[in-house]
Amino acid sequence: MIEVLGLRKQYGSITAVEDVTFDAEPGAIFGLLGPNGAGKTTAISCVSGLLRPDAGRVRVFGHDVVTDGRASREKLGVVPQELALYEELSARENLSYWGAAYGLRGGTLKKRVQEVLEIIELHDRAKEPVKRFSGGMKRRLNFGCALVHTPQALLLDEPTVGVDPQSRVRLLDLVRDQARQGTCVLYTTHYMEEAEGLCDRLAIIDHGRIIAMGTLTELRAKVGERDLLRLSGRFEPGPVREALGRLDGVEIVQVEADSVTLAMREAARKLPSTLQALTAAGAELYETTVTQPNLESLFIKLTGKELRE
Amino acid sequence: MTFLWRTALKDFHRQRRQPVEFVLWLGIPLVIGALVVASTGGRGGPKPQAHLLVVDQDDSTLSNLLLGGLSQEAAGSFIRAEVVQLEAGRKRVERGEATALLVIPAGFSDAVLREEPCTLRLVTNPAQRILPGIVEETLAIFADAAFYLHRVLGDDLRALAGGPAPGLDTFPNAQIISTSVHINELVGRVNSYVDPLVIQLETTTDEEEKEKAAGPPKSFALYFLPGLLYMSLLFMAQGVSEDLWRERSQMTLRRLVVSPRSVTEFLGGKAIYGTALMGATGFVSLTIAFLYFHLAPSALPLATLWVMFSGAVLLLAMMVIQLHVRTQRAGNIVSMGLIFPLMMIGGSFFPFEAMPEWMAKIGRHTPNGWSVQQLENILNGTVRPAALGNAIALLAGVGVVLFLVCARRLRRGFAQG
Repeated sequence: MIEVLGLRKQYGSITAVEDVTFDAEPGAIFGLLGPNGAGKTTAISCVSGLLRPDAGRVRVFGHDVVTDGRASREKLGVVPQELALYEELSARENLSYWGAAYGLRGGTLKKRVQEVLEIIELHDRAKEPVKRFSGGMKRRLNFGCALVHTPQALLLDEPTVGVDPQSRVRLLDLVRDQARQGTCVLYTTHYMEEAEGLCDRLAIIDHGRIIAMGTLTELRAKVGERDLLRLSGRFEPGPVREALGRLDGVEIVQVEADSVTLAMREAARKLPSTLQALTAAGAELYETTVTQPNLESLFIKLTGKELRE
Repeated sequence: MTFLWRTALKDFHRQRRQPVEFVLWLGIPLVIGALVVASTGGRGGPKPQAHLLVVDQDDSTLSNLLLGGLSQEAAGSFIRAEVVQLEAGRKRVERGEATALLVIPAGFSDAVLREEPCTLRLVTNPAQRILPGIVEETLAIFADAAFYLHRVLGDDLRALAGGPAPGLDTFPNAQIISTSVHINELVGRVNSYVDPLVIQLETTTDEEEKEKAAGPPKSFALYFLPGLLYMSLLFMAQGVSEDLWRERSQMTLRRLVVSPRSVTEFLGGKAIYGTALMGATGFVSLTIAFLYFHLAPSALPLATLWVMFSGAVLLLAMMVIQLHVRTQRAGNIVSMGLIFPLMMIGGSFFPFEAMPEWMAKIGRHTPNGWSVQQLENILNGTVRPAALGNAIALLAGVGVVLFLVCARRLRRGFAQG
């Protein structure tokens, strides 16, 4: 398993991650969900041994990544966000090279390379130079390079960024298969739907800190069964708060000069009275969005902004 | 197969699929080498020779003597003289068909005999630089000779130049005899000093001594061979070292850092690949050169090993540069900015033998120049085992230090990006 305790990493005066604590179990997928720049890649880089933490502790199957780095790295397979492949070499040569980097030799290496080629469905293109592959094929090979030594833990840093929908589905299936086979998977993404559909447990990270963590059910429960109503336009916070405060069953999440976020049951039914109250308070409305309870609404509830911002 | 060898093999396969780069590393020096061989006529080819057109408007014994002198053995090996008419000569020089046009004016003979001012006109071909200089120098020697001849035989020459006495068609026999006797006595007096010589002074240079010891004179093209080979090695060192940046930008270095393998093994693999590439290039080039120039085959293995190991150290030096600059572009600019002057002064563009002494002295102390010098010694068979042993020890020491510097930098920041 992967254990992260009180992790902190700074770049000069900028704190990239602060007091990050979580653990990922074998046979399950643990997701780190957060917007770009939230600190997901820094956290996963500390786990992989690419970066040295400034504080805290990271252990992979009992091996500390700082003091027992080599042993911890032997247990890990890392799928970086960017493609890390030799474009001039073939798929088979790439897999063989990275397999050798993890100590595989001779017949064992050859057999495992063939297995991985079949897992990632590139066995019929094994001899072609990677530069001739499509983006999706390269992504699958990037994934395969991390599988070749049969790691006990798999770190995936936004592996589906820039991938077409069909390839994304195939990649996510591959990740699920690995978890089913008992691999401990740590997966970072900023796609809410991906996290919801894939992860058994999740931590939501923003500005380098974990702001919520649990199973999908646990996280949804934090939002309650209420919908989120987001309105954009021009608002005067004082009169708006006063007008909304008079409405029954409406919780004010956030009021800004250009947006208002409210939580309520059956938002669609209450929408006319809410809009009427806002108009009476002098608001100028441009757009209205109703979000049913999900990770997005939880993120909005916790941070006051959308995940994609 | 260990990871070290796998890394070397991986780089070999990558290079094999990008042949253009390799062709350039070899091609640039090869083109230069081929041009040198072609321009010097290859193995034992003709020496460059000035083609001098002469317009003899004097048509005297003395002007014929001057023409004969230009065609004598000493000057004749550098100058080929051809008598032409003035207009035809001018046109040929304008067309670039000759080095220079010399006009011997009417009255040249009289003027020389009377020691009066006289001007020889030399029109040179502006497209040529060195050969017109040879012609000018040779003519200056003749002018000096005329001056000294006047100092010793001035009276006789002036008497001859004055012609027979009024009323006579020829010189009287008595005057001819008197002049002949005078010249004969003079030559006899001078002979007692210069012939036979008690001490004969032969002036040679150190390089000529070495050449004599090495046997028959070297082909002009062979002087360029070591320098051109090191030009290739420098390009290879630059290209292979720059691959560290390519590995970094394609994120494979990051993948390596998160694997259990050490970056030292990876670096070692890269160094092995570069060394093998240089060794193979050296072996093939030297084998061709040995066959073409009929060099002693026993020197081939040593020459190949020297090229391989000195090339490896040049590669590590280039890697140190690449690993300590901030960007790939900066690495390219700095390394190219360094290797071109090194090639210029280190014997790659011009052999040391063709450089001014001060420049050759500096060039022989540059890393590539020093290696070129050692290779020349191996090829000439003048290398001393003790000196070569010291040179190899120095190479090994420097190589180890450079490798450690590279490994340290790769571990501490470069690989992580």
